[in-house]
Amino acid sequence: MNKILSVIIMVSFFAVANKGAAQDNLSPQRKQAIDSLALEKVRDLSKYISIIGDKATPWSDAQRVIERATELFMESSEIGVSSIGKQDVNYYKVREYFDRLIQLNYDKVTIDWYKIQYVSDLVRQPDGTYVGVITIYQRFQGFSKEKGLVYEDTTKKDITVYVKRKETQIGGRLISFWDVMLGDIRVKETSK
Amino acid sequence: MSEIINKIKIVRWQHVMFIMLMALIVVGADSCKSSGKLSKKERKAQIESAKKQLEPIVNGTSTLSLEEQQRIVKGIISKNYNDPVLNSMIEDAQAKLKIAFAEQEKVKAQKVDVARAALYDMLLNKDNRSADELERDLAAIKSQNLKDSQIDDLVSRVEKKIKEMRASGGNGANLPVKTQLENAFAAIASSAKSGNLPQADNTIQKTLQFFSSEDVPVLIIISREGSMVDYDKPTTIKRYLNFLRDTKASKNDIDAIMTDANGKIKGLDLIKK
Repeated sequence: MNKILSVIIMVSFFAVANKGAAQDNLSPQRKQAIDSLALEKVRDLSKYISIIGDKATPWSDAQRVIERATELFMESSEIGVSSIGKQDVNYYKVREYFDRLIQLNYDKVTIDWYKIQYVSDLVRQPDGTYVGVITIYQRFQGFSKEKGLVYEDTTKKDITVYVKRKETQIGGRLISFWDVMLGDIRVKETSK
Repeated sequence: MSEIINKIKIVRWQHVMFIMLMALIVVGADSCKSSGKLSKKERKAQIESAKKQLEPIVNGTSTLSLEEQQRIVKGIISKNYNDPVLNSMIEDAQAKLKIAFAEQEKVKAQKVDVARAALYDMLLNKDNRSADELERDLAAIKSQNLKDSQIDDLVSRVEKKIKEMRASGGNGANLPVKTQLENAFAAIASSAKSGNLPQADNTIQKTLQFFSSEDVPVLIIISREGSMVDYDKPTTIKRYLNFLRDTKASKNDIDAIMTDANGKIKGLDLIKK
């Protein structure tokens, strides 16, 4: 009995020790750099969405930007679409969302994101990935040549962000980098 | 006149012939000495002289050049004195010279490395030096007479650059590559922001010419604490330039530029401003 107890204590001790060793002890400065990096990726996405939605953007440019924007997301991520007067929120796969965005039936579209900030700080998960939630406000305006502004709304959206440390070899150098991936974009509320 | 003739008649010609014969023998013996075998005394003297010549070489105190020292050793070997002490000294001298030549090669290789790095710096002109300053530094490198084909090639390229700098009278093309790149990044973002996308695209194409290919890796440092460096996800120069165009902002400084043998950029490290 004593032997069994000793084994259990030893196993527990090593399990706790291993867990401790696996923890990344990020200094506040490094953590802040990662927080900023994730926020920056969301800001990049807002610019990409603005370019994709802009009817003046040449087709080839839009396609290139869609590629870059899609690369920001984890596979199978979805983006919510809402509108005033409709209670349902439709969710589309990222690529489909961008393909629909480029084809919106307006003569001119402006999309602006603002108040981009964390609502849930990046927190380290057991597998080493940092997960947080960033909220944004999106101002959408659709114009027609005849009537001018025909539709506008403001939507609050939550974006889940995943940040994971990865390594790669570049020119013989081992590079440790932080890979920021965006998850689902959930619609929280839509107003005029 | 008749007296002189009488005196000639009185000379004993047998004696004259004998004296001449003896003289010939003596002269003949002398000439044998210079081309034939040495006497023991002379051989000993020459061995001692050879030892004296080898001594500073073995001790490493010779003030002669390595090539001259080697010529002396070879000269002594060719005499084939076959003296045990001298032979041992010859071996020591040869070993010493071998080490000295290896050291000389090593020093030369180090000088070539330093010169190569300096010449690349001059080509990039990171410190924004004038043509005169570059020429002065180039003269210092040339005076080393390194006899290295790569150095010769780089020297030619720096000479060409200096010539071009003087010909153009100092426009933007003479700025250090780092400055030119940072200016180009800012120009791409600025053109895109003002809606002048053709200008942004034009600057992108010009900027790509600094690089060995469109796929040159670009690393962006987001944090550096001592030896701990955190990077953003690696990208390529083509993607990065388009990123500047799309986001209409240039938020990174250049941290390091890596160039290839042709002076083209093969790697770029950026750092968050």
